[in-house]
Amino acid sequence: MSRTAGGSSGNEAAPAGDRRSSGPGRLLIAVYGVFALAATARAGFQILTKFAEAPVAYLLTAFAAAVYVLATVSLARPGRTWYRVSVAAVTVELVGVLAVGVLSVLDAEAFPNETVWSGFGSGYGYVPLILPLLGLAWLYRNRPGKTQFLL
Amino acid sequence: MDPFLITGAVVCLLSAVLCIGAAILRQPPNDITILSVAAVELFLLAYGGSGAVRQFAGEPVLGEAWEFWGYLLTALIVPVGAFWWSILERSRWSNLVLGAVGPTIFVMLVRMEQIWDGVAGL
Repeated sequence: MSRTAGGSSGNEAAPAGDRRSSGPGRLLIAVYGVFALAATARAGFQILTKFAEAPVAYLLTAFAAAVYVLATVSLARPGRTWYRVSVAAVTVELVGVLAVGVLSVLDAEAFPNETVWSGFGSGYGYVPLILPLLGLAWLYRNRPGKTQFLL
Repeated sequence: MDPFLITGAVVCLLSAVLCIGAAILRQPPNDITILSVAAVELFLLAYGGSGAVRQFAGEPVLGEAWEFWGYLLTALIVPVGAFWWSILERSRWSNLVLGAVGPTIFVMLVRMEQIWDGVAGL
């Protein structure tokens, strides 16, 4: 690949996307996929069976599920647009886990240990806290246009 | 300790060790790692089959029955999905994808056991 190949925005998008879902990215996407599946199933169960008990916490689980699904799909797709979507999804995820983590410590009543993000994801081995950090680092390393400087 | 929990833990651990070991040795997914994930799926099918028999033989799930079966159906998707995702790119990282199946299924198995025994709900 030459420098000029990176000049057209249409051409450089594809290799950037390929790299994103390649190598370590495959493991990252797989872990995101597991969390998308787990959070979706959990949100579905909570909302269908006991929504009235803690609507805020259960809506939050549903929101987290949507963010994980979006992150999984966008990380796996090539192109600049999907890159931006995945940066947004992973950033929202990081903000969400930090905000809910702090709130669940300050006000344990409002956030019982029932969302993926409660206690900074302590119920899930803190993976929800580590995952967006790894995700953002991975996205930064594989940002579109980086090849221009490397090759 | 439930024999199913012990069996499941052994199968999941073996599969994870084989897959992560193969990844460390820079191997792409091979027969051994793929079969070890298939063994996890087979265990889940046996677990579900015996669960169905136990339930119909008058040993009901003490927790929410459909939550148990929801977990099992979700768990059954995991090895299949990991297999599909890992063969799309045959690199050593794909073995780590396969290696993630064992720990994931083990955690889900512990939850299923808790639901079956009626320990603290979700």
